[in-house]
Amino acid sequence: MGDDMAPQPIDAILSARVSRRRMLQGVLAVSGAPALSALLAACTGGGEPTPSPTGATGTVAEPVSGGTLRIATPYTVSSLDPIKSVAAGDIEVLGQIYSRLLRRTPDGKDVLPGLAEEWESSVDELTWTFTLREAAFSDGSPVTADDVVFSFLRLRDQKDSAYPGAFQVIADVVAMDERTVQFTLDGPAAPFLGSTEQFNAGIVPRRVVEDLGDEEFGRNPVTSGGFGVVEWRPNERLILEANPNYWRERLPYLDGVEVIEVLRDPTRVSMIETGEADVAREVPWPQIEEFKQRDDMIVPLEPSSVIYVVLLNHKHPVLEDPRVREAMAMAIDREGITNAVTFGNATPANSLIPNTVDYYDPNISPPAYDPDAARALLEEAGAVGAEIEFLVTDIDDQATQLVQDQLGQVGLNAKLTQVDVGGWWDSIIGANYGATVTWWYNEVPDPDPAVRWALCGTCGNDSYYTFYSSEEVDDLTEQGLHETDGDERAALYSEIQRIAMDDVAQIPLWYQPYQNVYRSWVHDLHMNPAIQWNLDEAWVTK
Amino acid sequence: MRKTSLVLHRLWQMLPVLIGISIVTFLLAQAIPGDPVRLIVGPRAPASVIESVRERYGLDRPVLAQYFVYLGNVLQGDWGTSIAFRTPVLGLILSRVPPTLYLVGGGLLLSAAVALLLAIGAALRQDRWVDQAVRLFSTVGLGLPAFWLGLVLSLVFAVRLGWFPASGFGEGLVDHVRHLVLPWVTIAVVMAPILVRNLRATLIEKLQADFVVAERSKGLPERSIFLRHVFPNSLLTNLHLLGVVAVYTLGIAIIIEPVFAVPGLGQLFIGSIVSRDYFVIQGLTTIFAILTIGATLVVDLLSLVVDPRVG
Repeated sequence: MGDDMAPQPIDAILSARVSRRRMLQGVLAVSGAPALSALLAACTGGGEPTPSPTGATGTVAEPVSGGTLRIATPYTVSSLDPIKSVAAGDIEVLGQIYSRLLRRTPDGKDVLPGLAEEWESSVDELTWTFTLREAAFSDGSPVTADDVVFSFLRLRDQKDSAYPGAFQVIADVVAMDERTVQFTLDGPAAPFLGSTEQFNAGIVPRRVVEDLGDEEFGRNPVTSGGFGVVEWRPNERLILEANPNYWRERLPYLDGVEVIEVLRDPTRVSMIETGEADVAREVPWPQIEEFKQRDDMIVPLEPSSVIYVVLLNHKHPVLEDPRVREAMAMAIDREGITNAVTFGNATPANSLIPNTVDYYDPNISPPAYDPDAARALLEEAGAVGAEIEFLVTDIDDQATQLVQDQLGQVGLNAKLTQVDVGGWWDSIIGANYGATVTWWYNEVPDPDPAVRWALCGTCGNDSYYTFYSSEEVDDLTEQGLHETDGDERAALYSEIQRIAMDDVAQIPLWYQPYQNVYRSWVHDLHMNPAIQWNLDEAWVTK
Repeated sequence: MRKTSLVLHRLWQMLPVLIGISIVTFLLAQAIPGDPVRLIVGPRAPASVIESVRERYGLDRPVLAQYFVYLGNVLQGDWGTSIAFRTPVLGLILSRVPPTLYLVGGGLLLSAAVALLLAIGAALRQDRWVDQAVRLFSTVGLGLPAFWLGLVLSLVFAVRLGWFPASGFGEGLVDHVRHLVLPWVTIAVVMAPILVRNLRATLIEKLQADFVVAERSKGLPERSIFLRHVFPNSLLTNLHLLGVVAVYTLGIAIIIEPVFAVPGLGQLFIGSIVSRDYFVIQGLTTIFAILTIGATLVVDLLSLVVDPRVG
């Protein structure tokens, strides 16, 4: 969901004196990063990905307590109420301050006990019973079944609950006693158990929310996770402290965490270099390459659920012809572009859903790179010389420029139109565009939200506003939600991925790892594909 | 007496200016495509949720109706609620004023000091190498983009040498100064040239003025001619330029704050425009307008005090 594109257009607005291109060159020259020529060389050469340790920071065995961890991120925190937002900056933070019924293993694949010690389902998987452990909120009051019921009801029903989709299947949730909560579902739902771990399913104290009201609670909450809130300075930083009443024994190791919002990439890079930040998010690829060589930086490139794609507007008079879409897919050298833009740090994408979600199918094959065949197909469709408007939020976006160049070689005229993020969303929602290079991610490992977001035409957002609509895919999406047998589900989702690719619903580009950089004194800190840190388990030696 | 009435007159003039600015800002902000609610709750939120939040902030009503509601609230001291942070606008803005005032104030002082030193040096040694060097500095400084310069300074003095922090505002006066040295230098390098060029020209002009020739012929020492006559007379004409530079520096702050992650008004301004946080944009524009008008007023008052001919 391209909301990281925000930082780009500002310079252009504010500094009429120098063009962005000149500024970029200046930046590259100063920081000693490879210039554009190196980038283009990489494009044809196809750089080999450097092997790097995955999913791990630090190596020392015995954790030590204390210290404050500072994270520099471009993403904005907008509310501390778990149900109010599904924006990246909030997802990242909410999971750290609220515990859910379950939690996940660091790789995000399996569920572990959270506030619920154990759980069981009826044979038909329509009734789920969770037994709570003894746990307390950050103010010391106990977490009760009543709080759980309250949290899930507001998540499901409240009008401004931002991401309630996964919880609509809950017919009823009741407190059987102080420690037992029972969910009844409308029908079988495979993603249900996993959804109780979702970032917005954090348990909040009923009494406090009712006393303070939503607005005040969203600014100054009582939490159930590893950390409590000391102070939130909107648009600047969120200051967290260890929750002394946290249910996980001896955790967290850290005394506190500061999440600092730093809009500009170069500033975050400077901060991690000077040690003003211990962790930096969204570090540009040239600096990633540089930091990989250094002993005092850790660049694990942990897998994310971020997928880069070319969105195609199926209502566009040229693009509604499947031959044109297929020709475009054949004209684009996915591997070359991936290597050029990410310095070989990402994996070329073969499917239209992230490779870290369940039932991703590695055997899907998109049209192979073949400019001659693409040209022939375009001639057959009578589309040679057609103009396609590409939306960009940064006129210097490398991927878009490379796509533009490669389309030009087969006779398609990609015309770039620059907009800012707000304008971008307005344009794609209004089907007022031709194509655009963008990215999105899935907040949970379950493929259901991913398919609903990107490929389903009847799920509320017109297949990520491409207006691609396939009855087969739409039917399979509903079947996939209700199928509880693992193998059956896998087959359904494979079929969805195959159909969407055959239709060239979009053009896949690459699967991107997190561009996170950690200083070498940070240990055991991970980010799982659902954008969740394990800050409660992290520790520092500085 | 005339001075007081002048000040009152100027304050009275502010009112229509502020209202005009607020109307234009309100219409412009809403005319930019982009929906604040979608940007804030996240694009994945369902349409029904976005609609209900829009209603909650009154964004579903006609723009003019929204403006009058807004104006009415402002007159009662309520500057609205930030859509992005669900928190009152006035408090949000006021918390960001000190870093910007430190940044702009310190930057101006440094710019003025540097400009004085360089302009005097250049004027007293016209066309010699000092003068040439100062002129070169002015030309280069005028051409340097502030954000680029800030970045370079940060890379050299924060990252490579580690003399100053690369980001933030710190806690306490000493810490503020430490954090703001690099931003101040950035401002001075960009702003001082504007002052230097004008001041140098005025100084040279006054040095050759008839009254100076007369003083020389009366045998006054060169030193006292410069200090008591040339210098004060030159400053006066440059005072208004300083006002313009002050306002310009406020604008530059918007560019420099994000470079050094200084949590001031400028950074908030950029964030609010990107996220279409209408009421914050509105509040900040008003604050910037007040600061601009205030700076001009202060310069006018200073001129009044210094120059008996004004007023």
